[in-house]
Amino acid sequence: MGLSVDERWDLIDKISKETVTFGKYKHTLKDAVGELTIKPLTGIPIAIAVLYGLWSFFGSFAGFFTDGFFVSLFDEHFLPWIQSVFPDKGGWLYYIFVGDPLADNCFEAFGVLTSGLFIAIGVVLPAIIAFYLILTLLEDIGYMPRLAVLIDTILHKIGLHGYAIVPTILSLGCNVPAVTASRILETRKQRFIMMTLLAIFIPCGAQLGIMEEVIPDTMGYVLIYLLIGYFILGFILNKIIPGKSPEILIDVPPYQRPMLRNVRRKMQMRIVGFFKVAIPFVLLGCAVVNILYKGGVIDWLANVMSPLLSGWFGVPDETVGPLIAAFLRKDLAVAQLSAIPMTSYQMITSVVLVSIYFPCVATFVMILKEGWKDLLGSVAVLAAVVFLYGGLIHLIGILLGVA
Amino acid sequence: MKVLLMGHPNVGKSVFFNRLTGSNAIESNYPGTTVDYTKGYMLLENKDVEVIDVPGIFSLEPKDRAEEVSVKMLEEEKDAIVVCVFDASKIERGLYLALEIIEKGYPVIIALNMWDVATDKNIAIDVKNLEKILGVPVIATTAISGEGIAEVVSRIGEASPVKIRNIIKNAGD
Amino acid sequence: MGEYTMAKLYFGILGIVTVLFGVSELAVTAGGTSFSWGILEIPNEMFRGGWGGFIVLFAGLFYLSSLKNFSEIHQFSKAIMGSIMIWVVAGLDIFAMITESIPGEEGWFNSLGGFLGTYAPPYTPAIILLPFSLVVIYYICKRKAS
Repeated sequence: MGLSVDERWDLIDKISKETVTFGKYKHTLKDAVGELTIKPLTGIPIAIAVLYGLWSFFGSFAGFFTDGFFVSLFDEHFLPWIQSVFPDKGGWLYYIFVGDPLADNCFEAFGVLTSGLFIAIGVVLPAIIAFYLILTLLEDIGYMPRLAVLIDTILHKIGLHGYAIVPTILSLGCNVPAVTASRILETRKQRFIMMTLLAIFIPCGAQLGIMEEVIPDTMGYVLIYLLIGYFILGFILNKIIPGKSPEILIDVPPYQRPMLRNVRRKMQMRIVGFFKVAIPFVLLGCAVVNILYKGGVIDWLANVMSPLLSGWFGVPDETVGPLIAAFLRKDLAVAQLSAIPMTSYQMITSVVLVSIYFPCVATFVMILKEGWKDLLGSVAVLAAVVFLYGGLIHLIGILLGVA
Repeated sequence: MKVLLMGHPNVGKSVFFNRLTGSNAIESNYPGTTVDYTKGYMLLENKDVEVIDVPGIFSLEPKDRAEEVSVKMLEEEKDAIVVCVFDASKIERGLYLALEIIEKGYPVIIALNMWDVATDKNIAIDVKNLEKILGVPVIATTAISGEGIAEVVSRIGEASPVKIRNIIKNAGD
Repeated sequence: MGEYTMAKLYFGILGIVTVLFGVSELAVTAGGTSFSWGILEIPNEMFRGGWGGFIVLFAGLFYLSSLKNFSEIHQFSKAIMGSIMIWVVAGLDIFAMITESIPGEEGWFNSLGGFLGTYAPPYTPAIILLPFSLVVIYYICKRKAS
């Protein structure tokens, strides 16, 4: 240890004078196109186009596998087969694993091996693959930091800076890696705001996939409610949480051609991760909810919670089952909601509630790893948000005359 | 013996790491992909050597959680050899971090990575001269295509601690 | 000037047509009923017609804004970006066709007739613009060569 900061820079000056010569740098076409993606006037339409591309690919790709093949595979072949071969019709095990013996599709059967497998593999897996493929390409090309610069001003309003877009977008795939990624934010305040917003308002890829399948028409409204909530809560948290929100400090790397090897490897890791984290929980979630139904717990809870559910939030009491499932997996919860008869505004409200009311167990554990104090804070914020925002959505519905 | 890969965010440490060890650190084209360290092994003179991919840092004064991880890592591994990975087109910043590490007495080897980008930008670096001034091995690399990696590996053994006084003296003339 | 007069003329016309297509996609979406004329079919649902139409409109504006001083690199890059935006919309329209064409209504796969039928006209504005937007590649190559 010896040099002060200034001395060190002096030395660097000397060294670089001796060794580095800067030639005349002419802007290449790549730079010029790169600049367009950062300047707001041109960058915002481009970002909107990128988002469109992501969404459109997601819809077509997932639709191809789910509606094109998995629905008929599961409903016409797998379901009748397992309904007929599974022993002990009417017994507990049958109820848990196969579900309703009269169901003619895998959404309404509710069993671990019927709804559970169908949701995890038939619906969510294609969605996850589609999402991660595009995400990986955007990452490797180098678009993310540009998006960060572009959106910087807006995110400052909620106590974050442009770079928060990276955890936010990762979170659209899965909240678990996104929580870890929030470490790139500098202050504790920023990390807390980020983790809380992720856990509450960002739906994960699995949930997006299932929404695209079961409520394609009203999904847009759900997303708008979540987006508005993200900014309102961020704005409030920024005001009430002490701490600093420093400026963005970022190098924008040059655009690159993505390398197949890397894309393949990243896809592989993320999909294996999905199998390890998601599938066991989907199956477990199905089993738990079925046991609770059979034991009468759900009916009892629906009764007890009725004033809150149908009174305050304006959703059917039966949603208590999916709300329990949502502790384990959001995708499962949304699928179960879709089997409950209700109006489309009730559906919007209840899907928003399922999204915001509790992070799934895997996310919960991740936030716990970042520190239990932050977790307690997040949960407190969350309870208040669910109560108030849920009520607000109901109120909006009443005012619009649709609830 | 352990090898630490250190450098600014998004200079290609993870690409470098995967090249050295054949493992699967996540690579992305944005700063801050690696927020925790990744360990792997490479073969050096028929011995397994542990290589650690450290999250990117700007200096040894950490400013976020990921950077704290890096600084702590460096302090814990007193006998490590540090491979400083630079963005060759932004050599001054890289030097700042490298000098800090050299001052702490670590043996250092410098990889001027993203050499292709620097060439695109018409930046010429006199590698031989830089090596003479610093007294540590300096190698031009393009990790993404694998150029220069083999040379880095073969010269890791040459890394040894240097006195900052000598660098000042060498830079002076 | 002289060398790029052709290019300016070309991208000027393409830009105007693209803007018109974009505006009509938005108008058709707002109107609610789909519109079909010859090989052209303008989609009317919110996502494809509204959001997609907005992008087509902007692609056209990118073309038009590139005209002044076309040979300058930053201006030319706007024309490239206009084409890229058309490629995004058209590419995904084509991808949607592909994914629709393969699975069948009854049975696993589509009949050959059904498969080919998916690719028959009418097409969306973006797909019709696609071949014309490719001209930008010629100018990229030309610029690289010089």
